[in-house]
Amino acid sequence: MSTLLSRLFSRRQAATVPPMDGVLRPNEALDELSAIGSIAAPDNLVAAKGKVFFSSGSDLYFLDRPGNKISAEPFDRFSAEITALDASPEGALAVGVDGTGIRIVGGAHDGVVLDVFDTQPVNCVTALAFSGEDELFVCLGSGHNSAPDWQRDLMEKRSSGSLWQVGLKDKKARKLAGNLAFPNGILVRGDKLVVAESWNHRLLSLRIDGEKHAQAFTLADLPGYPGRLAPAANGGAWLSVFAPRGQLTEFVLREDTYRNRMLRELSSEHWIAPTLRAGKAFTEPMQGGAVKVHGVHKAWAPTRSYGLLILLDSNLTPTHSFHSRADGKRHGIVSACELDGDVFIASRGNDVLCTMPVPHSGMEGTS
Amino acid sequence: MNESAANAATEAGNVASADPKGSTGEALVRFRYKWIPTHIFGELLSKPWIDNIVPATILLLVVAYFGSTVPNFFLHGNVMDGTRQIGELGFVVIGMMFVVVGGGIDLSVGSNFALGNILALALTNVFGLPVPVVFVAVVATCSFIGLINGILVGYFKLRAFLTTLVMLIGLRALVDTILLKYALTISAGYYDDDFWYFIGDGSVLGMPTSLALFLVMAVAMHMVLSRTRLGWHIMAVGGSRRSAHNAGISLNRTVCISYVICGSFVGVSAFFYAARLGNGGSYPGVGLEVLALTAVIVGGISLGGGRGSVVKAVIGTMIVQIISLGVVQAGLLSGAGQLVLGLILLAAIGFNVRWVKNQDKVLSRVYMSPTYFDLPAAPSTAQEADSPYASNDRLGDVEVIGLDQVDGAEDIVFDSSDNLFCGDRRGNIMRFDAPDYDTGRVFAHIGGHPLGMAVDDKDRIVVCVGGMGLYRVDQSANVEKLTDETNRSLFAIIDDSRLRLTDDCDIAPDGRIFFSEATIRFDMSSWPSDALESRASGRIVCYDPKRDITRTVARGLTFPNGITLSFDGQSILFAESWACRISRYWIEGPKAGKIERVVENLPGYPDNINRASDGTYWLALMGMRSPALDLALRVPGFRKRMSQEISNDEWLYPNLNTGCIVRFTEDGQIIESLWDKSGENHPMITSMREHKGRLYIGGIFNNRIGSLKLKSGDPNWTGPASYWGKA
Repeated sequence: MSTLLSRLFSRRQAATVPPMDGVLRPNEALDELSAIGSIAAPDNLVAAKGKVFFSSGSDLYFLDRPGNKISAEPFDRFSAEITALDASPEGALAVGVDGTGIRIVGGAHDGVVLDVFDTQPVNCVTALAFSGEDELFVCLGSGHNSAPDWQRDLMEKRSSGSLWQVGLKDKKARKLAGNLAFPNGILVRGDKLVVAESWNHRLLSLRIDGEKHAQAFTLADLPGYPGRLAPAANGGAWLSVFAPRGQLTEFVLREDTYRNRMLRELSSEHWIAPTLRAGKAFTEPMQGGAVKVHGVHKAWAPTRSYGLLILLDSNLTPTHSFHSRADGKRHGIVSACELDGDVFIASRGNDVLCTMPVPHSGMEGTS
Repeated sequence: MNESAANAATEAGNVASADPKGSTGEALVRFRYKWIPTHIFGELLSKPWIDNIVPATILLLVVAYFGSTVPNFFLHGNVMDGTRQIGELGFVVIGMMFVVVGGGIDLSVGSNFALGNILALALTNVFGLPVPVVFVAVVATCSFIGLINGILVGYFKLRAFLTTLVMLIGLRALVDTILLKYALTISAGYYDDDFWYFIGDGSVLGMPTSLALFLVMAVAMHMVLSRTRLGWHIMAVGGSRRSAHNAGISLNRTVCISYVICGSFVGVSAFFYAARLGNGGSYPGVGLEVLALTAVIVGGISLGGGRGSVVKAVIGTMIVQIISLGVVQAGLLSGAGQLVLGLILLAAIGFNVRWVKNQDKVLSRVYMSPTYFDLPAAPSTAQEADSPYASNDRLGDVEVIGLDQVDGAEDIVFDSSDNLFCGDRRGNIMRFDAPDYDTGRVFAHIGGHPLGMAVDDKDRIVVCVGGMGLYRVDQSANVEKLTDETNRSLFAIIDDSRLRLTDDCDIAPDGRIFFSEATIRFDMSSWPSDALESRASGRIVCYDPKRDITRTVARGLTFPNGITLSFDGQSILFAESWACRISRYWIEGPKAGKIERVVENLPGYPDNINRASDGTYWLALMGMRSPALDLALRVPGFRKRMSQEISNDEWLYPNLNTGCIVRFTEDGQIIESLWDKSGENHPMITSMREHKGRLYIGGIFNNRIGSLKLKSGDPNWTGPASYWGKA
């Protein structure tokens, strides 16, 4: 009887996402922060030699006198959008540029350009991490799509990203892992690497010799898509979760007919897909709970964009979370970095940079 | 972004030129949703009679089995004998059904039957009374036994099972005592009466007398149970005693009556049995209670009470009787018949429990049935576009009236003294006094959710109340129901006579009121389900106050919403929200009764339409289309699964957070549009009404009314003047 019924009525599992609970309980912490200023599409915050660098499109900026009265000063300009950035201990910068590869600026290897690993062209550089002055770890998010086209990569259900170890002296590259679902953040911890695998909503832990670590999934089943990882002074890390998971998105991901037609026939701002900032136009898809009643947009409304920054302790366990909910104005947290007791946060969805003091480790929640 | 949009456009253009109607796959989908009406399954499943299907199938199987295995099963004599017994048993089963539906049980039917049988034989054979007197006496006696049961169970609140068990034993002892003394007298007597033979062995129209009378009684009892106050009371008491009590039904009396009915039917059955066999032995009626209960349960009547019908009782009777006879005729031992019946009983109980538990779950999964709906690409609303729909901020400086005093003013209307009236989610009609409209007060309370409104020639407000029907409020705030039902469609499966979602109305010069009902498939709170379905299940209804009749004048419309009378009074313009179009329905003249399209492919979902001062019309777009939803309309399976697999709040909706106001001419030319892109002052728009040079704006999810000074509006123009020539 029940088998007959299930065949008749297609009893698929309901499309669900993990709840934001425990440490991840929602708050308005991000919306309460003071803004440094509005900058178009801020991204790639990196602390180097007492300075904070960040990108905005193809421009590289640094923040002058961080901590006091802060202003953004231009530093360099590249031929295309900057998709990843990291700084070595001595202050050399590795810059991932969309479509052209990786360029080293400053330091011993100034001017080095990495555009081919083995035979694979360096495309879709999503994260970079120096290990000393001569070694660089590189995440290539996808073998099919460029980094700005991450929505398409998700909706095509790609799993073609890879992780590389590159010696800057000999420009030799070694592939540490392949078939990753959009590796989008990387952190070097001694002889281990932690990689954020966005489309699988988890953090992977790998030995640098390339063999997968026994406890491979450090943090799994996150309620959003994890992105950049930045070292924190407490020995842990800042994890930027750049977009939320949603029931409708999860549902569309298993509806192949609709999804393929959507990718083919609609322009990307009209897709049912997570985004850095939803609600810019009334032609975007809207969900039931987001109908305004009495002019109020409910904080709990289903949303395709969200603001979430998580502080992990030295065991990579979340201890604090900072949110901007459906009705908030700090969505699309793509990057964060810590310098001298302050955290700098880039809300790319709302084109704003903001900052806050690092919370004491003993503190519960956020405040 | 512009570049990518342009690319997408060329890409879409390429696809279109290669295959203008889309792929063959889509053609199949279109065909499937046009010709295979799957929504009927859900509608069938929502009918109360649908659970008859299972016992009816069992009956057919039983007939087919015995018909093919037992020789001479369909022989005339055999059929007559079987159906005569079906008639007799049927009376008992109907009686038992009344008790069971009322939440009780009557085990004494067998003994009561035996008593009736012996009484009938005694009155005929010994006393030689006329047949009608015998009939009345037997039925009265058995009813009296039922009355005793009813008083004990209904008024003294004794347990039905034990009470009737005691009655079973006691009556059986009584019958045996009578037989011990008078068996010989009764058997020795002789009663020669043609009418008595006719009752026992005769036939009417080729049917045995008992069966003929049984069928007549079955129809009558069906009427009693499903159409009368008594029947409804019994159902209500059986379904939920507490609710029935709270609704003011007398439990004691209703339960008692159900036992009396049962007793009287047992009497009728005993009367026929006595006439047929003249059996003065002691076995008549032994085990009859088990047979009757089996028939009731196999027919699908719930032992828990509150669910059952005469049809089920009839089907159950036939199954039980055919099996009992068939097993004997198939040459099996008579005990085998009991065994087969027992097994069927077990299966029936098991199925009934599962059915009652799961029917609603299955219904909720299959009821929603999205259909294929193809809209052309929406016209551009981009700010820089050369289009009358180009978005702007002309509504940006809307003034706000009644902030936090109203809740969900879907429509607004003015009387001839300039006072403003609007509906309210709490079921009120609110009034804001001219000229400053600063304080609202509850003018009248109706209930439901008052939606579209119109003012008639006597300054009364005619209002469509969602969930209730069409109402009228006069200037002294007296509320009067005009209509809440219309004629039922001939082929509709669901009962579409009740009005569920009356939406907007307008009044013709002759006083007829035309109003829209958005959908007949869903209640007001389930409008998102109707939006997901995009099925043409709405209609336009006309109420004629002179003759006080209501008639549906147009069917098969996709969420008909706003209605307004054209300036010449010859036609009404109406909006079909999910179809994004405006149509005209001719009410007078040579084209009366015809529908014409006026505006098609709007960029949003149209709501109310109202007259403008310069001979054009205002139209509210309550929300805007999104390409993702437009695409989903062409993939019905996607929407169906979405409704099943994610929660309602996560569903893809029409975007109701941004709307606009559009003005169009009599022949459907769009002249201009008014937008509030930021949505700060007036978040959503479902209606607008021009009055003395200002435009007043309502929104069903808003806590305010908007007011905007029009640049080109006639400062003296009012709605009542335009309609009724009043100053």
